[in-house]
Amino acid sequence: MTAHFVNLLETLRRRADRMAGLVEDMVQEACEAAAGADETLARRVIKRDSDVDAEEVEIESEVIRLMALYQPVGSDLRLLCAILKINNDLERVADCAINIAQRARHLDPDAGTRHHAAILEMADAVQRMLRGANQAFAAEDIDAARKTFAVDDRIDARYEQIIQEIVAQGAATPEGMADRLDILSIAKNLERIADHATNIAEDVIFLSTGKIIRHADDDAPQTNE
Amino acid sequence: MAELRNMSVTDSRTRSATRRVTAAPDTVISAENLTLGYGSFVAVRDVSLDIPDRKVTAIIGPSGCGKSTLLRAMNRMNDVVPSANVQGRLLYRGLDIYSPRCDSVELRLKIGMVFQRPNPFPKSIYKNVAWAPKINGYRGDMGELVERSLQHAALWDEVKDKLHQCAYALSGGQQQRLCIARAIALQPDVLLMDEPCSALDPIATARIEDLIDELENRYTVVLVTHNMQQAARVSDLTAFMYMGELVEFDATETMFTKPGRQRTQDYITGRFG
Repeated sequence: MTAHFVNLLETLRRRADRMAGLVEDMVQEACEAAAGADETLARRVIKRDSDVDAEEVEIESEVIRLMALYQPVGSDLRLLCAILKINNDLERVADCAINIAQRARHLDPDAGTRHHAAILEMADAVQRMLRGANQAFAAEDIDAARKTFAVDDRIDARYEQIIQEIVAQGAATPEGMADRLDILSIAKNLERIADHATNIAEDVIFLSTGKIIRHADDDAPQTNE
Repeated sequence: MAELRNMSVTDSRTRSATRRVTAAPDTVISAENLTLGYGSFVAVRDVSLDIPDRKVTAIIGPSGCGKSTLLRAMNRMNDVVPSANVQGRLLYRGLDIYSPRCDSVELRLKIGMVFQRPNPFPKSIYKNVAWAPKINGYRGDMGELVERSLQHAALWDEVKDKLHQCAYALSGGQQQRLCIARAIALQPDVLLMDEPCSALDPIATARIEDLIDELENRYTVVLVTHNMQQAARVSDLTAFMYMGELVEFDATETMFTKPGRQRTQDYITGRFG
C-alpha cells in the first residue's frame, strides 16, 4: 500500500475522532439541558443532528471508497471496519442525545426532582463511559476498552432501579406522570448510549486483536475495572 | 520408480524420521530445514513447512525472497541450473525428492507445473494435451482423456470444435488453461503454479482463479504469486517469505486479517522499507 493510502487512512481516523468529539459534546449538552430543563440548550443540540448525519454519511462513503480502491488487509482492514461500525454507533448516540434534548425541552424543572439526582448520576457515568470508549479507540487501548464493560453493567443496574422507583411513585401518586415518562425516556436513552459505547469498546478490541468478542461470554464483560 | 506411484506416508523410511511422525497425516510436500542456493548465494534459508493435501497453498513475498526457487525445487526444476545446491530435506509423500532413489522425470509426472507465461507446444490443441500421456505410454482412450483434461481446465466448451487448430491461435488466457489441461492430462497429484496469471488480463485471471478453486477438489495446488489479493482470494493457506526465510505460514484468513508477525503485517499492508 502506498504512503498516499496511509495518509488517507490517518485522515479518516482523525475525522472519526472528531465525529466522536462532536457526539460527546451533544450528549453533554443534552444532559445539561435535561438537568436544568434548559430549552435553549436543548434546541441547540437538536439543530446539530443534521451535521452528525452528514458527517456519518461522508465517513461511511470514504470507508467504502478506500476499501474499493485499495483492497486493504490486516490492520488497515480492521481499522476501516472499526471506523465503519463506530461511525454508525456514534450517529445512534447522537440520536439518543437528541431524544434526551427533546424530552428536556418540556421537562418541568420542579417536577420529578427526586429523580433528577439519579438521572444526573447516570448521565455523568454514561458520559465518562462514552469518552473512555472513544479515547480507547483513539489510542487503540484494549485495557481502556475493557474497563467500559463493567461501567455498562452498573449503568444497566441503575436504569432498572430508576424504572422501579418511577413505577412505585406512579402507583402512589398518579400526578406528574408526564414528567415521569420524560425522566424514564431520558434514562432509557442514557442506557442506550452506554450500549453504543460498549459496542465501540468491542470494536476497539477487534481493531487491536482481530477478535470479535460480541456475544462471547468468555471475553466480553469484565468485572474488574 | 514404483514407489512414486504407490507411496504413502507410512513408508518405512519415513516412519523413522521424527518430523514425519509429527507431521500432519495429510501432508503432501514437506520441507525440513531446507536451504537452497546457487553457488555461494543462498536463495532459501532453513525453511520448514508442510503443504497439505487437496488445499491451495500460496507463497507470497517480495521479488528475490526465494518463493519461486522453493516452488521449483518441489519438482526439481532447479536441477537444470548447474550451480544449484540443496541442504535439508524436501519430501513428497515421505520420499526425499533429492535422494538418488527419486527419478526427476517420474517425480514430474506426479508434480506438474504451470509457468508464468503460457508455453503451449507449436502443435494442435489436441496434441498439446495428448503429447505427454502418449510418450508416457498411456493406453486408455486418448480422446476421452483429452476431453476430460480440457473440461477440468474449463476450456472444453471454447475449443471442442477446433481441437486440431494450432494452440497459438488461442488467447493468452486460453493458452494458460491449455497448459493447465496439459499438466492435468498426466493425472498429477500436485500442481505447482508460478505466477500463472501475471501475463493475463483481469478476465483471463478471473477464469484461472475460478479454475484453481475447482482444481482444489482434485489436486493439491501450490501457487506462487506477487498478487496478494489473488493469494487472499484463492488460497487456503499462505506462506510469507522474505529474504530467503519463511516468516509466517498460516491460514490465509489469518494471514490477511491478523497475521502473527510484524514483518508479515508490514508486507501485506505495503509498509515495507
